[in-house]
Amino acid sequence: MGLNKNNIAIFFLTFFTALGFSQEIPTPQDTTKVEHLEEVIISATRTHRQLSSLPLPAHLVSKKEIQRVNSLRLGDILNEQTGLITVPDFGGGEGIQLQGLDSQYTLILIDGVPLIGRSAGTLDVSRITVGNIKQIEIVKGASSSLYGSEALGGVINIITEHPKYGFNGNIYSRIGTFETYDTGANIGYKKNKLAVNAFLNNFRSDGYDLNESDITNTVEAYKSYTLNTKLDYDFTENTSLFVSGRYYTQQQDYVASEELKGESEIDEWNTHLKLSHTYSDKWSSYFEFYATRYKADEFLNNPDASRFSESDFNQLLVRPEIRGIYNPSKKSAFIGGLGWNVETLTRTDFAASPKFNTPYAYLQYDYNPTDKLNVILGARFDSHSEYDSQFSPKAALRYKLSEKLAVKGSVGYGFKAPDFRQLYFDFSNATVGYTILGYNAVITKLPEMQAEGQIANVLVPLTDFENDLNPENSIGINIGADYNPLSSLKLNLNVFRNNIDDLIDTRVIANKTNGQNVFTYYNVHEVYTQGLEINAHYKVSNQLKLSAGYQLLYAKDKAAEKAFDNGEIYARKTPSSSAFQLGKSDYFGLYNRSRHMGNIKVFYDLPQWDLDANIRGTYRSKYGLYDTNGNDYLDTYDDFVDGYAIWDFAINKTILQNYRLGFGIDNLFGFTDTQNISNIAGRIIYGKLNIHF
Amino acid sequence: MTTIKTIKILALAVLFIGFASCSSDDDASTPKKEVESQSITNLKAVQSADYTTNPPTITGDFIKFSFDKGATTTGDDWDIAFRGSTIIVNGGEATTTDQPVRTAIAAAYIASGTLTSVTSVDPSLLVSDSASNGLAIPAVSGQGWYSYNPTTHIIAPIAGKIIVVKTHDGRYAKLEILSYYENGEANEDMSNSQFYTFNFVYQPNEGVTTF
Repeated sequence: MGLNKNNIAIFFLTFFTALGFSQEIPTPQDTTKVEHLEEVIISATRTHRQLSSLPLPAHLVSKKEIQRVNSLRLGDILNEQTGLITVPDFGGGEGIQLQGLDSQYTLILIDGVPLIGRSAGTLDVSRITVGNIKQIEIVKGASSSLYGSEALGGVINIITEHPKYGFNGNIYSRIGTFETYDTGANIGYKKNKLAVNAFLNNFRSDGYDLNESDITNTVEAYKSYTLNTKLDYDFTENTSLFVSGRYYTQQQDYVASEELKGESEIDEWNTHLKLSHTYSDKWSSYFEFYATRYKADEFLNNPDASRFSESDFNQLLVRPEIRGIYNPSKKSAFIGGLGWNVETLTRTDFAASPKFNTPYAYLQYDYNPTDKLNVILGARFDSHSEYDSQFSPKAALRYKLSEKLAVKGSVGYGFKAPDFRQLYFDFSNATVGYTILGYNAVITKLPEMQAEGQIANVLVPLTDFENDLNPENSIGINIGADYNPLSSLKLNLNVFRNNIDDLIDTRVIANKTNGQNVFTYYNVHEVYTQGLEINAHYKVSNQLKLSAGYQLLYAKDKAAEKAFDNGEIYARKTPSSSAFQLGKSDYFGLYNRSRHMGNIKVFYDLPQWDLDANIRGTYRSKYGLYDTNGNDYLDTYDDFVDGYAIWDFAINKTILQNYRLGFGIDNLFGFTDTQNISNIAGRIIYGKLNIHF
Repeated sequence: MTTIKTIKILALAVLFIGFASCSSDDDASTPKKEVESQSITNLKAVQSADYTTNPPTITGDFIKFSFDKGATTTGDDWDIAFRGSTIIVNGGEATTTDQPVRTAIAAAYIASGTLTSVTSVDPSLLVSDSASNGLAIPAVSGQGWYSYNPTTHIIAPIAGKIIVVKTHDGRYAKLEILSYYENGEANEDMSNSQFYTFNFVYQPNEGVTTF
């Protein structure tokens, strides 16, 4: 446990000196505070829409909130939102679970274009710094009608900051427990037709170790840099250009054992170009070009510095897209787009260097027949070179019953394309001897293995692999209500159900002569997630704001539910006692899903002291990580990870207008579960300084 | 009134049972033996693997077991044999060259239930080991008697799986494997694996397919 006591002490000192200091010299204060700005969301419809009138369940996280809680990485702030939780992956990354769906079913965008690099399905949200984020938009429910693959559970769009008029910027640094340093600078310039912006962030940490008895650390030391530059140029009032370049690099120690040590490195870049033109009040169009590469390499060396193993992953996505918006009247808007995804991947243990080609088209109609009613209809068609083409429709409706109450509902189709691994993997474990083949690799690789005499018998005939693997697909239904009984109180309710078919899992297709098996990916499971979400925001006074959120979740496999229902499942009370039969009510559901999740936040402002403070608590109820009683299902007799709550506290103080000092404790009570939860490090004490100019 | 009714029904039931048991007694040429129930704990069946070869070379003796004796055996009167997580039956053909030669007619299948709820044998499901179709009890996670957890690396007997066995001399037994680790639980490095603990029921009467 590396705690930088000196740095913390310095921060403490500065912070409290500043407190005293500011009491003596009164700082000028804003006389008027405009609090009620209408929040605008762009991810839900790909047009600018008022959040409050949207027929879809959506949520915004503002820059203000991110700054007040002093978040570092995207995962930190997402974890505090209702119904979202980051779940650690085998590789050390953290993926986001949304409405009970795994990380691979939520599309993550930066300024409207997707991030790639899901080496094992998870997109690691700790890759993204929050230092230059203006707003995070979270849209729940299947959204493939606009975004295509991966938008099965929802979409998270990160909107980065644009410069204000003149020359301005900020530099900041946060120092905390585990030798964690987060330092960044943001410089912007805007005048007349031109706006430029550069952002640099350096994040490094010594990592942490929850289990001291072994040689490896739970999270090894790492460092990363993010560089993001942007340019906006208005050729005329009606024509403008946006260019953005982002580069991310991360190095982390890679320790497998006492002898085997190495390093893993991630390099990622994104280039985004957008040309917008407005023809008239009714017509506007966008041309967008996006390219991104994600490269991950790792190696392990023997003690004599010779190479033990290395692996690489190199993915490229190129996407041109044109989009048009047509507003025949104030009451209706059409948006349509045509685009083409080209994706390639080279990777260790791959049968080929595959290439995906996906032309696509989408159209959406947003209509307000009356002041009270809003209807959105949309659909998208993705034609894919490697699997079945997908048609993804969506319909949403909102009706304002009164000024205080509105009801809304949406139904949409979502899909997730089989990834490269599921199609082209060709991997044989060197020590144990099993083989995993991608679905498309089976037809060539299995006969090869047979010819080499590796196969004892084939359990699934090759003819089963003549049809394409189906994308995992879902129908998502969301029904909710917005109720504002007082101007200071907002209540939102959303009931959801996601029906997911053709979920891909591995299964054995052949036995090998070495007694091991050949596995492949296959459409097998049908699962559902359903539940409800409640959010409440209460502005007690201009100084005090309270919010609370709750999600109830049932995430179950349909076949498992049936098996329990039919009495086919048995369990043991202790690992070696006789089995007994289980009933319907004994099935708990999918792994790593908590039935209850909740959060509560208190934000307090002391304008006379230029001070703000907040306390936030998040809770998740018990969940199972794997079957512990030998029936392959999670039932009520299994061992569960106990439910837990985490409390965070932060206080910030502005001095001399441009200096902002922050101090806080994340995970106030130092909760850890060394056995089961690898992404909760323990208590983190930090100090932060932000200088604005 | 109800008490009298109950007595009547009971009396009738006793009569029927009496008739039924009389008839079977008449048919049996030899006096009926008791069904035997027994527990075997920590039966050691260790294999070792040499991973320097591809495929890895597995060595170790198959530990042969006789239900009639209720103990291990070295002769040809074995019914099933254990090595590592593999269980073979004494019937059919060897699936690898290092397995003992099959000398008898043993066969097996896996039924779902508890040891008490599986009350009869379905002879149509019985299969012997086969060079082309694999082992009667597949040595594959999730398909035979155990499941392997890739996260914890623990091999656990699947709850509710009962192995029904036709013995080397055509009698029947059923067994429930309780543990693959010495004294029931895997130790830290799982070095106490390959120790079988199981309960079995043996029907010593020839041709009787119920337990």
